[in-house]
Amino acid sequence: MSPRRADTGGRIDRLKTIRFTFDGTAYTGHAGDTLASALLAKGVTLYGRSFKYHRPRGLLTAGVEEPNALVTVLKGEVREPNIPATMVEIHDGLVAISQNRFPSLAWDINAVNQLGGKILSAGFYYKTFMGPVFGPLKGTRFWMFCEHFIRRAAGLGSAGSAKDPARYGRMNAFCDVLVVGSGPAGLMAAKAAADQGARVMLADLEPLFGGSANWSEETIDGAPAADWARRTVAQLAGRDNVRLLPRTTVWGYYDNNTLAALERVSDHKDQPVKGEPRHRYWAIRAKSVVLATGAFERPLVFPGNDRPGVMLAHAAERYANEFGVLPGERIALFTNNDSAYRAAVALKKAGAAVVAIADVRPELSPEMRKLASEAEAEIFAGHAVVATEGGKALSGLKLQRFDMTNGALIGDARSIHADCLLMSGGWSPTIHLASQAGAKAEWNAARQAFLPPKPAQSWIGAGAFTGSFSTAEAIAEGRTAGIAAAGGQSTPSVLPVVEAVPGDPDPAPVFEIRAKGKSFVDFQHDVTAEDVRLAHREGFVSVEHLKRYTTLGMATDQGKSSNVPGLAIMAEALGKPIPEVGTTRFRPPFAPVSIGSLAAERFGDLKPERLTPMHDWHLANGATMYSAGLWYRPMIYGHAGETVEQAYVREAKATRESAGIVDVSTLGKIAVQGPDAAAFLDRVYTNMFSTLAVGKARYGLMLREDGLAFDDGTTWRLGEQDFLMTTTTANAGKVMQHLEYFLDVIWPELKVHVTSVTDEWAGAAIGGPKARQILAACVTGTSVDNAALPFMGIVRGEISGVPVMICRLSFSGEMAFEVYSGAGHGTHVWEALVEAGKPFGLVTYGLEALGTMRIEKGHVTGAEIDGRTTARDLHLDWMLSKKKPFIGSAMMDREGLIASDRLELVGLIALDNRPFNGGAHIVEEVDEANPHGSIGHITACCYSPALGRHIALALVKGGKARQGTRAHVSDPLRNRFGPVEIVSNHFFDPDGSRMHG
Amino acid sequence: MVERQSPEPLSPLEPEFHVGSHGNFEHGVEIILTETRPGSIVQLAAWPGEEKKLIAAIRTVTGLALPDGAGGGLSDGVKSVFGFAPGKFTVADEAEGLAAAFAKVVTPAIGTVTDLSHGRTAIRIAGPKAEWVLAKFFAIDFALPAFPTGAGRSTTHHDVFAQIQRTGADQFDIYVFRSFARSFWKALCHASEEVGYEVQ
Amino acid sequence: MLITCPYCGPRDVIEFTYQGDGNRERPDPASQNFEAWNAYVYDRLNPAGDHNEIWQHSGGCRAHLKVVRNTLTHEISSVAFMRSDHGRGDHGRGDHGSAARRKAEDKA
Repeated sequence: MSPRRADTGGRIDRLKTIRFTFDGTAYTGHAGDTLASALLAKGVTLYGRSFKYHRPRGLLTAGVEEPNALVTVLKGEVREPNIPATMVEIHDGLVAISQNRFPSLAWDINAVNQLGGKILSAGFYYKTFMGPVFGPLKGTRFWMFCEHFIRRAAGLGSAGSAKDPARYGRMNAFCDVLVVGSGPAGLMAAKAAADQGARVMLADLEPLFGGSANWSEETIDGAPAADWARRTVAQLAGRDNVRLLPRTTVWGYYDNNTLAALERVSDHKDQPVKGEPRHRYWAIRAKSVVLATGAFERPLVFPGNDRPGVMLAHAAERYANEFGVLPGERIALFTNNDSAYRAAVALKKAGAAVVAIADVRPELSPEMRKLASEAEAEIFAGHAVVATEGGKALSGLKLQRFDMTNGALIGDARSIHADCLLMSGGWSPTIHLASQAGAKAEWNAARQAFLPPKPAQSWIGAGAFTGSFSTAEAIAEGRTAGIAAAGGQSTPSVLPVVEAVPGDPDPAPVFEIRAKGKSFVDFQHDVTAEDVRLAHREGFVSVEHLKRYTTLGMATDQGKSSNVPGLAIMAEALGKPIPEVGTTRFRPPFAPVSIGSLAAERFGDLKPERLTPMHDWHLANGATMYSAGLWYRPMIYGHAGETVEQAYVREAKATRESAGIVDVSTLGKIAVQGPDAAAFLDRVYTNMFSTLAVGKARYGLMLREDGLAFDDGTTWRLGEQDFLMTTTTANAGKVMQHLEYFLDVIWPELKVHVTSVTDEWAGAAIGGPKARQILAACVTGTSVDNAALPFMGIVRGEISGVPVMICRLSFSGEMAFEVYSGAGHGTHVWEALVEAGKPFGLVTYGLEALGTMRIEKGHVTGAEIDGRTTARDLHLDWMLSKKKPFIGSAMMDREGLIASDRLELVGLIALDNRPFNGGAHIVEEVDEANPHGSIGHITACCYSPALGRHIALALVKGGKARQGTRAHVSDPLRNRFGPVEIVSNHFFDPDGSRMHG
Repeated sequence: MVERQSPEPLSPLEPEFHVGSHGNFEHGVEIILTETRPGSIVQLAAWPGEEKKLIAAIRTVTGLALPDGAGGGLSDGVKSVFGFAPGKFTVADEAEGLAAAFAKVVTPAIGTVTDLSHGRTAIRIAGPKAEWVLAKFFAIDFALPAFPTGAGRSTTHHDVFAQIQRTGADQFDIYVFRSFARSFWKALCHASEEVGYEVQ
Repeated sequence: MLITCPYCGPRDVIEFTYQGDGNRERPDPASQNFEAWNAYVYDRLNPAGDHNEIWQHSGGCRAHLKVVRNTLTHEISSVAFMRSDHGRGDHGRGDHGSAARRKAEDKA
């Protein structure tokens, strides 16, 4: 045992030695230790350097609110910065390093910043670096020069750049009662709610349930409180209506009692179990919540209050009782309230000498005097600490008489030799979650604290959270809250009996001792009391502005210990009572949250993707896949040594010469069924569908309500009341919602059902002069000749024993057919078609060749139906029926939509025979250096094997009238300028003779 | 296996379907994953007011007496049916031919029949940790009182739409779009690793 | 935010798609009244307080819902099917808790 470690007591297992390193030095600790307790047991006093001034800092607290002792934990290449050492559970092989120091924690070059303290006061950056340049060392330009050095010197740990291989998980949970916090109040609440039969979840950010019971040394029902907590937890663990979540920080309280929590599942282990996440994000929907989150002890603000060795009183009590570690051997205390006296007794019992208790209050109760004598401590009533001494550890302090009515210091200072100073400035209930949930906190003058507001959502508070600081109150309130949260009726019952050290929960209203030297309010952001007053002198009156100007409470600890002292000092400067100054509303997260836990399983390999039935065939046959939305589609089937362009040119050319086949399974497919299906389609499409014969398909265009083009595709009439609608791949979901909206909201009287059948059908489009011969070679059960299968006709047959539906329609401009089969048979049919095509020179082609052939034909896709174009812009006005109203018909003829200078679809041919780029602009004037006056842009482009030219589709102002004229393509970003000819969008076979055969 | 005239449809899971125990299984598996591969999956939808007749038709074809109420359903181990939306039901059968059978009894006056035998993939998750693993994906309450045996739910995990039927105290059948099935299967296996799982 | 779908029960807002202001009236399809069409297509109420909204339960039963939501507090005071015929007794619905589910809850 180290000299500071007691032989018995606490949560640690002294038989288990754990080896870890801190800043490269090997240490040992015990199972149950935090990094903070293990290092403290080895006499380590220095844990970090402060944010601005690089002052040496020690442990202030023992819990989540720690502002000083932030470390970086290294796991392989991955570094996680800014973790409080108080929250790191040690395990074998743990590697932790300190932060914000260079070259080492003990010798930090930037500690000279302390000497320039006046310069780095509140608003330093705004004053020095913002605004116009007056002189050489001011202004934004100066900032740009200095930023690099300042960023290096200031701040926290640095994030790593290595990919985090850890697994993160997400969990959705439902419960009747969520209890947050597992101190005596939380444990009682969980037990009471569970006894009512409710589904209970109990979460605590610490690894060990029990909260203050783990270190208070009180007795409950005659046994140590820690044993009572252990017993209660064991009872809860045995019930199947209770879920216990240790190491789980409830960090967000959202609408409808939805709470967010982070469980640190395996951070404390050398290795996670296979498949176990590092962190798990819990989304909890609770019918009601019990907030038993306790309270944070506040520091006092006095010169030198940040010196290593100055610690919160209860933190020392925790280290002594929960970890068996003494933070010092000669301990002094400084307090404005009774709670510190218990700490004095505890530390005395643990073996330290308690040399002095300085209390700002002139009168002390007999009970406190008795506790002080038990601790064998000399009392200095009506005294304050005005200075601390020492470097990287405390060596002593100075006391002076203090008048708490006016803050005056009287008489000479007196030195006391001590290696540890414990302070207590009263307690602030941990109201963060209640504040996030809605209403404003209320100031309680007696407790000198903000107490939780009236619930805006379904929660109930219990224990120190409500300002009831005694364990007996916590137990009683916890039980009541647990029963009420479970919807039960509270009946009289015998509560556990608590024996506790007496004490008045109300502190003296003293937050600051004003004496010479830096007195820290926000330890993590290095905000001093003087900074707060400076902000006031410079005219900041609102707390929100104060916060932003001084950055008080804006560090990773979110001001857990500094908010109330900061406000009190501001209030005093303003000459207003604290409630009038108000407080800021807490926002999520309560404590830092790993980004990984929020992303959980939605990245990398686990991102959802959609695959067509023939996906594996494509991969096995040399396809380069291309992601289109969530879908994966073949881009090209490249041969060895081919470029993408060579591949698609070969594929498109072969298709026009013999035949090609392409996977079109991704097209949206919607079953439109019911007696009113035809009437519905007449309203949805601009053209008629009620006149379509069964067994025929028709190309259709949809507009939006505002009259702009929406989507296009063919719809097949499979039966009198049964249509198969196809949509573009990208708009499948949108079209489905569009149809559902009109059926549910606008025309509920129509008897039509729409169902997504995209995934039901595999689709293969086979086109080219030899396509029909290939089909004839493999289709049975039907003829595929022109009589049986005319243009836009549909037949049913079989390929390789698989039932198929074949529709003769063309996107490529060739004689083409779409062959649909059940998705599970997609690959059978595809392979049969490919096999049948071999003697005919059939090629498989991908999206690039598909795109090339459609550009050659001038067909539109999403690049042209871009939400801004009308049917007329795209020369589809022949599809606008005049015999019936349809969606968009009333709005499509508005003035602006029929103007002659609208962007209209045209074709472009590169006269310089160089490739185009999508998005390039079209200009009239030849002014390459200063391109201007865009008349439109390119929507799609390719090298056309059919024309032997570089061609493009473009939307050009008054485009139709410009056909046959010349303009220029201008693409300055890609250094492309050159002459083009504007032509019809129908480049190839405009009369469709190839398609009609 | 039922006799088929056409070739056996390919499973979309194939390259990612690895029979055997996986993940943290040394202390036993707590999850069994299978693809149930029903011969038929059909969606039925009634016109307003015709739901009772459709429920009667379901009974005629499957012998299953559907309980009234949102999301109600049942399964006899061979055939399963559940409601997933107002007036809409999913029916699955080990045998093929369900759509044709329903087409005979669900007249145009009652509603519509949509064959989804190829379009939906049915994945079964069973075992003591089935609720735990599913809760990782779906924000619905899987506890038995909230989600009774036989009942169905429609929900979504990211972009993956799913219909889920509880077919046992710790068994669920999940119907997902075929194109998403492999992706979802991979995610399901991944999520089951920590409790140990077996693919059958 | 949770929306209690009359069919599916309370679900996360992520399962729903907002489908716009529920106060709009679509003119008669054959109407050529531009003012009326313009109001329908472009005018939206934007009240600070209770608002009639249309939401689709796109990640669930896909029904469209008439939702009254307070735009200041997110409080949802009523949810109903857009289609009145979904709410009728012969569908055995009307609230999200089905008889079967309630029975199961009582047993538990």
